Amino acid sequence: MRLARFRYLKKQRILTLALTLALSSMLFSMTAFSLLGFYRGFTSYLGEEEGVVAIYNVKGGTPFTGLVPIYLAERISVMNGVLASSPEVIVPCIIRGEALFLRGVLPKEFTKLNPLTILEGNMLNLDDFNSIIIGRNIAERLGLKPNNRVLVLGVLADRYLELQVKGIFASNSAIDDEVLAPLYVGQWLRGAGYGQVTLIRFKIDRSLVNPTAIFEEIAKESSEQIPNQGTSETPKPPEESIMPRMIMRFNIEEIGVDEVQKFMSNYIERYGFTRESLLILSATIFLFSGVSIAAAAKTIIIQHKGEINILRSIGASKRLLKRDLLIKILPWSLTSSLIGTAMAISVLTIIQECGYLKVLSHVVPFQLEPLILILNITLVFLLICVIILRYETDL
Amino acid sequence: MIKIIYGLKMLIRKGGTASAVLSLALLVAIVASMNSLADYMALQVWILGRLTNPSGAYIIVSEDAEAITDSQISVEVSHGLSGIRHVKSIFPQKILLAYLNTNFSTSVVYVRGVNDVDAYLKLRGAYINGTVAKSWNEANVGEVLANALSINVGDEMNLTLNGGSVKIRTVGIFRGQTQSDAEIIVPMEAVNKIFGNNDTVSIIEFYLKEGENSREAISQVARLLPENIKILQSQQLSVFAQQVNGQMLIFLGVWSLTVYAIIAVASYVIAARLIAESRYEFTMLRVLGAEKRYIFALILTYTATTALLGSVLGIALGVAGAQTASTMLRWVNPTVDITPFIEAEQALKTLLLTLASSTLGCVYPALKSARIKYIEQQT
Repeated sequence: MRLARFRYLKKQRILTLALTLALSSMLFSMTAFSLLGFYRGFTSYLGEEEGVVAIYNVKGGTPFTGLVPIYLAERISVMNGVLASSPEVIVPCIIRGEALFLRGVLPKEFTKLNPLTILEGNMLNLDDFNSIIIGRNIAERLGLKPNNRVLVLGVLADRYLELQVKGIFASNSAIDDEVLAPLYVGQWLRGAGYGQVTLIRFKIDRSLVNPTAIFEEIAKESSEQIPNQGTSETPKPPEESIMPRMIMRFNIEEIGVDEVQKFMSNYIERYGFTRESLLILSATIFLFSGVSIAAAAKTIIIQHKGEINILRSIGASKRLLKRDLLIKILPWSLTSSLIGTAMAISVLTIIQECGYLKVLSHVVPFQLEPLILILNITLVFLLICVIILRYETDL
Repeated sequence: MIKIIYGLKMLIRKGGTASAVLSLALLVAIVASMNSLADYMALQVWILGRLTNPSGAYIIVSEDAEAITDSQISVEVSHGLSGIRHVKSIFPQKILLAYLNTNFSTSVVYVRGVNDVDAYLKLRGAYINGTVAKSWNEANVGEVLANALSINVGDEMNLTLNGGSVKIRTVGIFRGQTQSDAEIIVPMEAVNKIFGNNDTVSIIEFYLKEGENSREAISQVARLLPENIKILQSQQLSVFAQQVNGQMLIFLGVWSLTVYAIIAVASYVIAARLIAESRYEFTMLRVLGAEKRYIFALILTYTATTALLGSVLGIALGVAGAQTASTMLRWVNPTVDITPFIEAEQALKTLLLTLASSTLGCVYPALKSARIKYIEQQT
């Protein structure tokens, strides 16, 4: 007996199940896309390239709050295989009432690690005392143009500064949500001395040097006598000589050296946020809403009890009916889960464009990850199969 | 009312009620667990805000000024401030952009005029090489600016703006690790001499006495100020934390809407299933003379009851689940201390939103069922 031609399921009733599935898939996709986007954005915050290493303070509660001695940048930059070194001060601040991050940098060194395209105005130089360049997202959000002057209020220290916008840049990275300033401006706002920075990033040739070798060099440095202030084995570039030179003592136990992505993922994983745990959390949310999907599927069967009874009375076996229900419901289910995913992408795109998809004042970059799509379809397929194949009462 | 209670009793005894409550409870649990984490974060933000140093610096600037150099405040305001007992110290400052001509170059620099250069540099904790500027033709230069323009103690330079010019001598180079390190600090007299206008200053920086109630003190200062003047705290830790928390809450709000939409559809399903399973009971009620309105009210009450039970159970499940997860996380990593909890107001909001979306979801099947004649119901 074949039931393929019997159209005994009413479309309107199946639509309820389809709607439940679409919304559940939307919830799953929204959760998974945004959480994985946050994870990806956070771990790639300091760069995605291989061969970028950071020196940081392991005791810092966040990647933004630790301090390391700046003179390590000079010391390590002379090692064979170190291609660029960028000391940076990352500091939260308030500009025009908006919470933002300002990054104090040595512009020439910084652009070796993060190339910038100047969209308006000019590139920043280290001797632009009271100037900043701003990411295009901030320029749009705050309506800022080159030559505008802004009042910057401190968050970590009691500071206020007047700074002038020198240019607007694009980098296609998280830096588009930040303000770049000369290194010493970041130090003022952080309340740190001229001898300290939040972290130092290096671009290295991995065939010549690695994080362990850099750490060993720092360990050697910590055990040696600190040279007198004002003297230096490696002369600074002329533009850096405007910064007062300070050498701070440090404890090697507080210094960490890692690939930047590993450094950032170590921070987030302290709180149990791994890529896998975030996917499991999203799947759990889907399974919680799965009880409603099961209820909707059962309701369809109850609503078609009459039709099913007729089919049973003319010889259709339970197995045949289950198989037929599965064949008829599965395409609807899979289509609606795809629609749900598409709805999630649309909603996330809209709220991202409206500037509401932000974490720590940085836009969360969500990407269409095939893994989420596959996981969604698999979960829907398994859920519908289990519900229909295990359903006994009314068949 | 009694009729509804009897009818409800009959419907609640049906087998599907438990699964209906469970399906709604699990959906509410999703929202409740996220809200419990959000409430914990909000508490941390509130604590952080209270930790902000209450005796920190405050600045008074013009309401319409985008930057300090645009601001103009009457000097009378600072005279008024000195009469307030909560205020420890006051630093009126005139900050201007001027042309600096040295032997080697011409640059645009910030010039800050203060009443007492010594007190100002002490406030900034500055180290000085040389002496403090005391007369109108003396200046202290910040170390960063001095390094950049090769200015040394004893050097003479010209400050020019709008045709006005003054020759000043560098009597000291200082390091304060603030923006002043890239500025020239001169006595107020010098600024007034070059630029005229003795009646206004750019900003007034003031500090409160330790242990003062900052809110009360600031409101007292605010009462003194003319309408076009504002007070800003220079360290904005709580504002930053609130905004960062707000960013998360906005997303959570949009995300929660999806869950409430699923609750509405789930309630539609619950009502549809109830109608399908209770066809006999509804037919009998109609035969015995029950009005359409009664059937409608009965279905609505049933769904509202399951939503109420589901939301109470869901809130409990969600908070307990989040707390269990955070305890397990603490076992794995003892440094992570997250204690999710839900505010009564938040719980009530969740409950009301669940009830509202449930009611919305069940209206259509309830109306449709009430409109069917009992002969149709029998078929």
